[in-house]
Amino acid sequence: MRLLWWTLVVVIVSLTSIILSENRTLDPLQNLSLTITTPLENGLRDLAEPVSDFFQGLFNRGDLVRENERLRQELERLRTQAAATEDTEQRLQDLEEALGVKKGQPDNEFVIADVIAQDPSGFKRALAIDRGSNDGLDEGMVVLSKSGSLVGTVSLVYDEFSWLRLVSDPSSAVNIAVLSGDEQGSEPRGVATGDLRTGLSLELLPTGAQIAEGDLVTTSGLGGNYPSALLLGSVKSVEEKPQALSKRATLEPAADLSSLDTVLIITNFRPARLSGP
Amino acid sequence: MKYLFAFVGSFFAVVFAASVMPYVKVLGVAPDLVLIFAACWAMIRGQREAMVVVPVAGLLRDLTTSDPVGTSVLALSPIVLLAVVRELRPLESDFLPALAVVATASLAYALISMTVLTAVGEDVPWGTALLRVALPSILVNPLFTVIVYPPMRWLSPRPKVEGFGVGSAVRL
Repeated sequence: MRLLWWTLVVVIVSLTSIILSENRTLDPLQNLSLTITTPLENGLRDLAEPVSDFFQGLFNRGDLVRENERLRQELERLRTQAAATEDTEQRLQDLEEALGVKKGQPDNEFVIADVIAQDPSGFKRALAIDRGSNDGLDEGMVVLSKSGSLVGTVSLVYDEFSWLRLVSDPSSAVNIAVLSGDEQGSEPRGVATGDLRTGLSLELLPTGAQIAEGDLVTTSGLGGNYPSALLLGSVKSVEEKPQALSKRATLEPAADLSSLDTVLIITNFRPARLSGP
Repeated sequence: MKYLFAFVGSFFAVVFAASVMPYVKVLGVAPDLVLIFAACWAMIRGQREAMVVVPVAGLLRDLTTSDPVGTSVLALSPIVLLAVVRELRPLESDFLPALAVVATASLAYALISMTVLTAVGEDVPWGTALLRVALPSILVNPLFTVIVYPPMRWLSPRPKVEGFGVGSAVRL
């Protein structure tokens, strides 16, 4: 009988908390708890890398061998490419002009933030950072890695902290353009979605699109939620299914999403969902 | 005093879960230290104490994740129901039932979390999440229980001997 009452109370209290949390009533409590745990988490994150290396070696030896082989091939490919640098630079310049990167990209204003925690849930790909609404952050703002590639958006903002949704999160969808290297200079468009299995998938690409491994993928700017021409990554593999309505591919993110320690949040780009109609 | 220990233990489990454990991925998932801690406590100390420790651990976890507060409290609550295994004593050893409880609680946790996240409008790919997160966690969490359970068992107070001689009772 006691167990029954306990279960009933826990279910009612939990559901009430979930509703309150969704209404943002419990935000101050979550902000406070992050304030308390952040110093400890920061210290522990610094110690975590050797632990990570140990477990990578212990459980993913096969993956490491394959990764090593892949990197060797990649190096060879890059060496070959380096021989044709001038050509490539010219092509990139052309592509940049075509995209309007130079004209269209405003001087972005950034807030720099340190990553303080990762969401331990396996169903999400989210990071906590040490900047919040007091620093001018708002939900939907675009987040870049230190080197300037797209890593996600701000999904939840407290006063002094925020949660980021990475591009590899299943809820994430980014309109992209593939800078394919074919002669016509076409830029097939599609959507990059987060995937728990592959990390990032490219979907809704035109069936006739000429896409090859290594092609760069940038934001297309469609929809207005991301600035155009932000590097997202490169094509890792292309799925060829002749009868499919659209082409699919997997994407290698430019930034290592599993070991981000500092990120940049663009504060002067207002995503469409923040700007309103 | 015991609940203070439980609180401190849960707190450190939560901090480790958000800082170190994401780097310790086995079969693609990070072991859930909070779940392991709560399940071990329930199996070592019994259902009565688990009724306090499990919600506390769940609440602490909720406050340091992006999930709605209450999700982990709800998702960890099956541990208390599963702790009945301790009273039933299906085996001479406490350890193997503890592994079974952790494995079952991992699956229950995943299913309840996914249900809550879906209900609040998060995009949860159920098929992939079950295959890539829930099922591996059934193996990975018991694997790490092997590390967590023995020290917790050792630190837990010894059984009290209530009498001497033939027929003396030992209460755990």
